[in-house]
Amino acid sequence: MKRIIIISLAFFMSLLLAGNTFGQEKNKFFHVIVRAGYNVGGTAPLGVPATIRSIDSFKLTPSVMGGIDFQLTPGRWGILAGVHYENKAMDTEVTTKGYRMELVKGDSRMEGLFTGHVKQEVTQWMLTIPVMLTCRLGNRVTWKVGPYISILTDKDFSGIASDGYLRQGDPTGPRINMGDKEGEWATYDFSDEMEDRQYGVAMGFDWRVTRHLGIMTDVNWGLTGVFDSDFKTVEQTLYPIYATVGLYLAF
Amino acid sequence: MKIRYSFALLFVLLLTSCIKDELPNAECDILSAWVEGDQYADIFYNKSQMRLENISASEKEVVFTVRSLISMPKKLPVHFEITPGATIEPANGSEQDFTKGPVTYTVTSEDGEWKRQYAVAFKELNLPTYKFSFENYETVELYGNYYHEFYEVDQSGTHHNIWASGNSGAVLVKTDSKPEDQPTYSTPNGYAGRGVCLNTQDAGSLGHLFGKPIAAGNLFMGKFILENVLVDALKATEFGRPIDRVPVRVTGYYKYHPGAVFTDKDMHEIPSRTDEASIYAVFYRNKDSEGKDVYLYGNDVLSSPYIVKKAQVASLPPTDEWTRFEMFFEGDEADTQILTSQGYNMTLVFSSSKEGASFEGAVGSVLYVDEVEVSFEELETTDAS
Repeated sequence: MKRIIIISLAFFMSLLLAGNTFGQEKNKFFHVIVRAGYNVGGTAPLGVPATIRSIDSFKLTPSVMGGIDFQLTPGRWGILAGVHYENKAMDTEVTTKGYRMELVKGDSRMEGLFTGHVKQEVTQWMLTIPVMLTCRLGNRVTWKVGPYISILTDKDFSGIASDGYLRQGDPTGPRINMGDKEGEWATYDFSDEMEDRQYGVAMGFDWRVTRHLGIMTDVNWGLTGVFDSDFKTVEQTLYPIYATVGLYLAF
Repeated sequence: MKIRYSFALLFVLLLTSCIKDELPNAECDILSAWVEGDQYADIFYNKSQMRLENISASEKEVVFTVRSLISMPKKLPVHFEITPGATIEPANGSEQDFTKGPVTYTVTSEDGEWKRQYAVAFKELNLPTYKFSFENYETVELYGNYYHEFYEVDQSGTHHNIWASGNSGAVLVKTDSKPEDQPTYSTPNGYAGRGVCLNTQDAGSLGHLFGKPIAAGNLFMGKFILENVLVDALKATEFGRPIDRVPVRVTGYYKYHPGAVFTDKDMHEIPSRTDEASIYAVFYRNKDSEGKDVYLYGNDVLSSPYIVKKAQVASLPPTDEWTRFEMFFEGDEADTQILTSQGYNMTLVFSSSKEGASFEGAVGSVLYVDEVEVSFEELETTDAS
């Protein structure tokens, strides 16, 4: 599904570039903007908790974005709305000290404070609908700001706690060592606890380089946590905060 | 790609720059304990007993084994290594009177939020009896789960926690469970008075996740080291405690009923196999050639080169009636000199599934054990004289 979208976007863009038969861009009232970009960022608490001692690795993920926007520009100010299909993923490894975590599987449950290595994977494929106010700053640059709503189509929040130990319950609880291979480490999966919708605000710039082609950059700041509010295992509220960098075609 | 990498790098730098200062330690464990000074060496059998290393984090007591409580000085200092930053009360290395029983030490964490209490005691090695009726048990609570721990009592009323089981591991993945829900518990329906019930259980979804799908009921002389239960499950069972006499025979009573479906460690059914109970005893040297402590674990309890003698019940046929079992120690002669310097350990092991340590067995296998008695060479000669 996502591959098809990316390929068709690329095809569409090359077609536009090749054709290049569109009329005068400037002062046009209605624009269709096709975008393709890459999301970089994290699903993280605002402020790293003191129980995270170091960030050991932060890997690139298939966090691509493709979408189409419709822009109305009666004057300097305008309005934009569209549909984006994107992934806000994260693949990171951290070292923790006394980080609260819970392992739940079926009828079994294990909860406590983990000191050691955590490998965290987040995948959030979503349909995002932005509604933005636009403002033309000179000939080439447009500033955009506005809210968005995302509907998640595929979600994963899982990880591995290894090379350390869990103190069950609290710091005086029984200690259980965790090793560095399957069966010795603990895995967790909170995918089902994730919200199906996310809300946030986005702000960014479109910078037109040629008549049709431009460079875009947005910051998408999630205002709601990624988990259901009654889910308490992950102590901090995690917000999806991602920047998009990409290209667009406007016509 | 380069742009993406630099963006990722920038993000990591941003995050890393917000790493907060490390919080003070919240743990408050005694890691090791020792008695210093040659003037105290005489109260121990050997110098290695003056130092207790790698004290398990689930331990609530710290016990030094001494020759005789009568020869103990009125007061002596015990030194502790505790979690960094934590404090201990009474003071580390202060002289305390251990002759009246255990002294309670309180360890407070560096952040001041958490406390743990330890009973530090000096105990004589020998039990008043080697006839185990399993009348004494304590109910322990662990996060809403309850389980039984068996102990023995000597003439002075001192408790000796010589028995261990995997209960503390089994309850890790349970919620709101009762003692009778655990793999090992005290039953009022013993051969005489109370007895032990051992049963093989499904270890629940998390147990399956960790590749440890069943929990066999077990009871053994030694320690259960909970820390190791995931990383090296066979090292969770530390078998043996020092003994000053040579065992000859073990007798007792049992009932056994194997579970219906035998499964391997991946929970695959093996129709050709029927579960078996196991009862055995091992007598082994507890020091290596360099004088370091030796313990037997799940991986070598029946095969270690340190084993001097072992006794195994050849077969325990299923029975619903209390049935007597008897087993004799076979192997090499014990060395009198090693014996007098406390160089031997003994363990006695009961399990509802023979291969339970490798997570093979049948859920629902139940073994009852009661009135177990060990007889000794030394005692027999004493009786004769």
